[in-house]
Amino acid sequence: MIPGGCPFSRRRFLQAAGGAAGALAASALFPSALRAAAGKTVDVAAASAASPAERARKAVALLGGMESFVSRGDVVVLKPNIGWDRTPEQAANTDPEFVVAVAEMCLAAGARSVSVFDRTCNDPRRCYVNSGIKDAVERFARKNRVGDALRIYHVEDRKFVRASIPDALAIREWDLYRDALEADKIVNVPIAKHHSLAGITLGLKNMMGIMGGNRGQIHFRLSECLADVNRRVPVALTVIDAGRVLVRNGPSGGNLADVKSFGKAFASRDVVAADVVAAEKIFRLAPRDVGHIGKAMESGLGIASRAQIRLVEG
Amino acid sequence: MKTTRTLRRASQWVVFLLFVFLFLNTEYKDNDVLPYAVNLFLRLDPLMAGAATLAGRALIGLVWPALIVALLTVVLGRFFCGWVCPLGAVIDAADATVFRKVRRKGAVPVSWRRYKYLLLFFLAASSLFTLQWVFLFDPISILIRTLTVSVFPAMNLVLHQIFDGFYRMPGPIPGISEPAYGFLKSHFLAFEQPVFRTSAIVGLLFLGILAAEKYQRRFWCRNLCPLGGLLALMGRFGLFRRRITEAGCTRCGLCESECRMGAIGGDVAVTDHGECIECMDCQAVCPEEVIHFSGKEGRRPAAVDLTRRGVLAAAALGAVTVPFFRVEAHGKAPDPLMIRPPGALPEGEFLARCTRCGECMRVCIANGLQPTWFEAGIEGMWSPILVSRIGYCEYNCTLCGQVCPTGAIRRLPLPEKRKTRLGLAYVDRSRCLPWVGQSDCIVCEEHCPTWSKAIVFREERTRTARGGWRTFKKPYIDEELCVGCGICETKCPLADRAAVLVTSRGETRSTGVLAR
Repeated sequence: MIPGGCPFSRRRFLQAAGGAAGALAASALFPSALRAAAGKTVDVAAASAASPAERARKAVALLGGMESFVSRGDVVVLKPNIGWDRTPEQAANTDPEFVVAVAEMCLAAGARSVSVFDRTCNDPRRCYVNSGIKDAVERFARKNRVGDALRIYHVEDRKFVRASIPDALAIREWDLYRDALEADKIVNVPIAKHHSLAGITLGLKNMMGIMGGNRGQIHFRLSECLADVNRRVPVALTVIDAGRVLVRNGPSGGNLADVKSFGKAFASRDVVAADVVAAEKIFRLAPRDVGHIGKAMESGLGIASRAQIRLVEG
Repeated sequence: MKTTRTLRRASQWVVFLLFVFLFLNTEYKDNDVLPYAVNLFLRLDPLMAGAATLAGRALIGLVWPALIVALLTVVLGRFFCGWVCPLGAVIDAADATVFRKVRRKGAVPVSWRRYKYLLLFFLAASSLFTLQWVFLFDPISILIRTLTVSVFPAMNLVLHQIFDGFYRMPGPIPGISEPAYGFLKSHFLAFEQPVFRTSAIVGLLFLGILAAEKYQRRFWCRNLCPLGGLLALMGRFGLFRRRITEAGCTRCGLCESECRMGAIGGDVAVTDHGECIECMDCQAVCPEEVIHFSGKEGRRPAAVDLTRRGVLAAAALGAVTVPFFRVEAHGKAPDPLMIRPPGALPEGEFLARCTRCGECMRVCIANGLQPTWFEAGIEGMWSPILVSRIGYCEYNCTLCGQVCPTGAIRRLPLPEKRKTRLGLAYVDRSRCLPWVGQSDCIVCEEHCPTWSKAIVFREERTRTARGGWRTFKKPYIDEELCVGCGICETKCPLADRAAVLVTSRGETRSTGVLAR
C-alpha cells in the first residue's frame, strides 16, 4: 500500500495512536515516537465470573481499571450490540447487565457523559426494548440519579456525517455517526457470536453500528470495510461479552439451543488483539481463519500476532 | 340559552382530541400489546359495522360499540354528526377559519340531500350481495385513512425539515430548537418518516371534501355522507328534537339562516329531524329564546324528499354492480404481489370486512403495509398489502391484528403469528450477487428471523464473468420454514429491485376466488 521506506507508516502510526484522539495529535508532531512504538506488546484480559457485571468489571480491572482508558471529563460513546429484536437469553445482543457495568465504570472514572446507541437491524424500538438494554440503562441512571450523564437513545438519520477514510481499502468515504466521530473515547462492548458471513462477530464487526447508509452493500467486501471503519474511528477500549454465546445461526439466532454458556469476558485497548484472543478462546479460531481479523492485521490496525499479546487471566 | 351550544362545541373538541390521541397512539410504544382500543372510533360506526356484517356474512363481536351509537341515535336523534363525528368537527373548524368570510353564491339545490340516502341504499344493496364499498364514503374511515396515509406523513416531513434546518444552523439556535424537537419527537412525530402509496390522491380527495364548504356549509354531511344518511333515518323519531314555542316567535328567520344543515325549511317552525344534527346554533341565536330541544313533539317533520323510484333504482344499481366486479380477472389470477397482513381472512371475507381505514398501515412498525391501488381489483382499493421493498413484517410483532376494527385481520397470538405464512421468498438467481459470481453477500440469510433459518447458504463454486471459478456462499430458501415476512427483500443490498423477492405463493389463508 504505502511504498517501503516511508517514515510515516500507517501501521506504526496506528499502533502508536492506540485510539486516543489526543495522543494522535501529539504523536503526529513527533514521528520519532512512532518508531519506538513498534514491537510493543499489548495486554488482553480474559475474565471469568458468575455474573455478566462481575465479568465486565473483572476484565477491565485486569487491565488496570477504567481510569487507564477514560479520563475525567471525557465524552464517552458506549457501543453495545443492540442489533436484533431478541431477548438477552437468545444472545444476539450484548447482555444488559454487562452494558450497565461498563457504563458504571466509565462514570466512576469521571466521564462527563456516556452515550449508548446502536444502529439496529430490526426495528430500533423493538431491539432497544427486547434486548433489555434500554430498560437496564435507564433504570440504572434513574436509581443513581445520573440521568443527565448516562443516556441511551436512538440513532437519527440527520446525525450521520459523510466522513472520508484516508488510504481506505474499500470505502473512501461513508456516513458515520456524528456522536461517535466527536466522542473523546469510544468503548466498544460487543457480544461474541457466530456470524454467517464474517464467521464470527466481535469488536471489529460491532463498529458497523456507527455506519449509516446502505450497510448491506459493505457485505460485498466486508473484511476491508470493517478494517476501514475501525481505522477511521479508533476505540479506546473493547470489552467483549462472552457470557452466553450464540455458536450457530448468528448473527440473529433466536433458538436457545444455539446458545452456549462460556461465562467469560475479554478486554483490551487494542480491538484486534481482543478479537484474536476471543476468537481463539471461544471459537478455537486462529486470526487467519477470520477474514476481517486477518485483513485488520494486514492493514496495520492493531496487534494480531499472538507473540505480541500478553494474556492476563483472572 | 347558549350553554348547550357551548357544550356541543366542547364535545366536538374533546372528541376530536380523543380521536387525535388515539391516532397518535396507534403505534408501537415499547409494548407488544396496545393497552387500549385505539380503533374505538371505527368500532363506534354503525354504517361500517352494518356493511361489514352484511357483506362478511358474520356477526362481528368487535363492533359492539356501534350498537350503542345506534341506540342513542334512535333515542336522541342525529346527535352524532353534531357532537361526535371528528370529520364533522374538522369541517366545522374549516368553516370557522378558512371559509369564515366566504359569501356562498349559487345555492346548492335542497334536493341534493337525497343523494346521501341514495348512496346509502346503493351501498346497502351491494353489501347485501357481498361487495363492500362503504369505505369510500364512510367519514371515520376517510378521516383515519387520510391522516394515516397523507396528512400525518406530510406534517411529519415538514416539521422534520424545519427542525433539521435549525439543527444545522450555527450559534445558539439548535440549543433552543432541539429541546422542542425532542418533545415533539417523543409525543407527536413519527419514529421514522412514513411513506405511503396513493398518499397524494388520498390527500386531494380529502381537500375536496373541505373545499365543498365554499358552496354550502356541511356540504359533505348534508348531501353525501352515507353515515349521516343512516343516522338520519334512525334518528328521525328521536325524543330529543327541536321545537318552537310559537307564541313568542317573530319569524325573524335567524335560525333558518344560521342552520348549518339546512334542516329548518320554509316555515321556521318546521324541522327536518333527520337533517337536524342538534348543534344548538338556532337555539343560541334566537333573540326571543323560543327554541327548545326536548322530548315533547314539535311540528311534524318535513318529509324526506325521496322518491320510491329513486330508492329502488339506487338499491337495484347497488345489486347489479356486484357481478361486474366479480368478473374482473384478478379473481381468477390474483396479483402475486397481493401479500396480505398476517391473520388476514380469506380474500373474499377480507375485502368484505376491511374498512380501508389504514389503522394497520398506521401501526405497521416497519411501514411495510401499504394501500393497494388495483392489485386486488377496484373492489380492493386501499386495502393493505405488504410491500416488502418498502418495509417488512416484523417477526415478533402482532400489532396489525390488534388494531383491525372488524377482524378482517385476525388478532393472532405471537406463536401463531410466527407460523403464519404471508407468502414465500424466492431468489432471483440471475441477479443475486453470489449466484452470478460477483461477490459474497448473504445479507438475506443474516436477517432471516425464523429460528431455524429459512434462508440457508451453501458454499459452491461459481463461474465468474471473467471465466475463472470462485467459491461463494449462495442463498437457498427452505420453503418449509419461510413465512414470507419479506425482511430479505427489504434488506437486499441491490439498490433497485431486490434479488430475493416475496410473492403470495403458499400463503396460509386460502385465496378466495370470485364470489362465495
